[in-house]
Amino acid sequence: MSLPTGADASTVATSGDAAATAAISLRGLRKQFGDVAAVDGVDLDIADGEFFSMLGPSGSGKTTVLRLIAGFETATAGTVWLGGTDVTRAAPFERDVHTVFQDYALFPHMSVLDNVAYGLRVRGIGRKDRRGRAEQALDTVRLGQLGGRRPHQLSGGQRQRVALARAIVLEPRVLLLDEPLGALDLKLREQMQVELKQLQRDLGITFVFVTHDQEEALTLSDRIAVFDAGRIQQLGTPREIYETPGSAYVAGFVGTTNLFDAATSQRLLGVRAEHAVRPERLRITPTSAEPTTADEIRLDAVVVETIYLGTGNRVHLRTDDGLELVALEQYTGSLDSAAHRGDAVTVRFARADVVPLAAAP
Amino acid sequence: MNLSRTARRMLAGLTFGVLALIYVPLLVVVANSVNPSQSMTWPLDGVTFEWWRRAADSVGARDALVTSLQVAAAATAIALLLGTLLALALQRYSFFGKHSVNLLVILPIALPGVVTGIALSNGFRTILGVDLSIWTIIIAHATFCIVTVSNNVQARLRRMGTSLEEASADLGAGVLTTFRLVTLPQMRSALLAGGMLAFALSFDEIIVTTFTAGNGANTLPIWILNNMFRPNQAPVVNVVAVVLIIFSTIPVWLAQRLSSDVEAVR
Repeated sequence: MSLPTGADASTVATSGDAAATAAISLRGLRKQFGDVAAVDGVDLDIADGEFFSMLGPSGSGKTTVLRLIAGFETATAGTVWLGGTDVTRAAPFERDVHTVFQDYALFPHMSVLDNVAYGLRVRGIGRKDRRGRAEQALDTVRLGQLGGRRPHQLSGGQRQRVALARAIVLEPRVLLLDEPLGALDLKLREQMQVELKQLQRDLGITFVFVTHDQEEALTLSDRIAVFDAGRIQQLGTPREIYETPGSAYVAGFVGTTNLFDAATSQRLLGVRAEHAVRPERLRITPTSAEPTTADEIRLDAVVVETIYLGTGNRVHLRTDDGLELVALEQYTGSLDSAAHRGDAVTVRFARADVVPLAAAP
Repeated sequence: MNLSRTARRMLAGLTFGVLALIYVPLLVVVANSVNPSQSMTWPLDGVTFEWWRRAADSVGARDALVTSLQVAAAATAIALLLGTLLALALQRYSFFGKHSVNLLVILPIALPGVVTGIALSNGFRTILGVDLSIWTIIIAHATFCIVTVSNNVQARLRRMGTSLEEASADLGAGVLTTFRLVTLPQMRSALLAGGMLAFALSFDEIIVTTFTAGNGANTLPIWILNNMFRPNQAPVVNVVAVVLIIFSTIPVWLAQRLSSDVEAVR
C-alpha cells in the first residue's frame, strides 16, 4: 500500500487512478436488502487524512455505506478500495479500518484496559507491550486513570472515549465513526466534537464520520457527502454545501432556506429555474425606506411570527403575493429593530445571494 | 396498582391454596421417608433413618441413581454442544430451510413423550438395528435437552445483539477468536442455566425412558415406578423420591438465580 501524496480535498475528484491513491474509493457501490436498495450506486473517493462526513436522514444509506467499508455488509454490486487494494470481498478482520460504534460496543466482561488492548491481543502482541500501548491510548483520550474499571461503571462520554481509544490504539489509516456522538447530551457533544477534530489532526488519520446532524457535519468536516435514498445528492466542502446547495433537498436538509420554485424565480429574477436564499441573507426594513438598486430585490411583506432565538430573531413573513419567507435577524445593538407580528415591512436581499439549485448531480 | 383489602386476602388465600396443593404432598413424601411405620401411618410416632440406611444398601436404587446421573450428564453434554451450535446457526446466519430447522428442533419438547418414545424405540431397534441400552436413553433424552439449551442461548444471543461480535471482527479477530473471547463469555450463564434445566429434565424423565431403556439400564424414576407398589419397598421409594426432589430442585434453583443475576446487572 503506497501512501498518496498531497492529495487534497479538491483534487480528489474522479480521475481515473484515484482508486489507487485515495484512502477509500467506492465504485458503483450498491447494497440491496430484499427489494430495497439501501445503497444505490455510490462513487466516492476519500483522501488520506481527510475528515469526511456522510450526512443524511435515517434510512438514507449513509450507515450502510459505512458498514460496507468496514466489511459488516457485503456489496450487492460495485467495489470498495482501501489504500489501493480491492477489499470488496474481504472480511472485517482483514481490513485496515476500525469502527467506533454508535452504541460503543464495549465488551462488558472486560476491563477498560482489556477492551482497549483487545485488538493488540488478537494480533498476538505480548501482554506487557499491549498494556503499555493501551495505557498510552487511554491517556490520549484522557482516561488514563480508569483502565481498571468495567464499561458499565463509566458515563456515556467516557465510554465514547474508550471506544475511540480501542480503535486508535491499532493505528489504523482509516477510522469509521457511526454517529459516535448521537447518544451524548448537547454540552458533552460539543466538547467531544472539538476533541475529535483535534484527535484527527494530531493523528493524521482519515475519519469517515456518519451523522444526521447537519451542524456537526458543517463544523467538523473537510468535505461532506449529503445522502438521500441511497445516493449521494451532493459532495463538497461545508461551505459549498451550505452556500451553493445543489438541489432543493440539500438546501432544505442543511440549514433552513427560502426556496423559490421556477415560476417565482421567473417573476423575481427573470430566470425559469429553482433558486434558494438563506434566511440570514434577508434584511427587514420599514416599508419604502430606500429606493431599490439593480442588484437588490425588494418585496413588501407582513410579519407573520417573530421567534426569539437568544442570538437573534427568526422572522416568518408573507409577501403581498403570498410567498412565505423566513429571515434571521441578528441583534446588532438596537433591540427595537425586531419586527413585530402584523408589521408591514420590506424584505430586501442581494441578487447575488440567491443561488440556483441545479438538478441533483 | 392498589387492590381492595378483600381482593388482596382472596388472592393471598388462593395463592396459598395452590402452593399448598403442590407442596404439601411433597412434604408428606419427605416426612414419610423418616416415618417409623412401614404402612406410613399418620401422624408420625417418631423419626427413623432406617429407610435411608436401607435405601443406601439397596443395590437396585444405587445402580438406578448412577445410571440416571450418567444419562443426565451425557445428555446435557450433547445438548450443550449441539444446542449452542444450533442457536448460533439460527441467530447469526441465514441459510436455506432455517425456519423448518427451527420448528423441527423444537418439536420434540411439544410432542407427547409416548409418541417420541415409540418412534425412537422403533427407530433404534428396527431401522438402525441397535440394541436398547444406556446409550439409547442418552440419545433419546438429548433430543429434548437440546431445545432447552438452544432456547436459552438464542435468547441471550438475541439480547446481546451483533455489535459486540462486529466490534471484535473489526478489531481484527477471526471467527473462532471472536467466539472464544467475546461470544462464549457473554453466553456463559445462559449455557449454565440451559444446561442445568436440561439436566433436571433428563433426570426425572420417565415416558421416553421407558421405551428406550434396555434391560438392566434402569433410571431412578423407572426404578421408583417398578417398586412403588411393593409393600416392603415402599418406604425406600420415599427416600429415593426425596433424593430425586433434591437432585432436580438444586439445578433449577441455581439456573433461576443465574439468569436473574444477569438480569440485574443489565
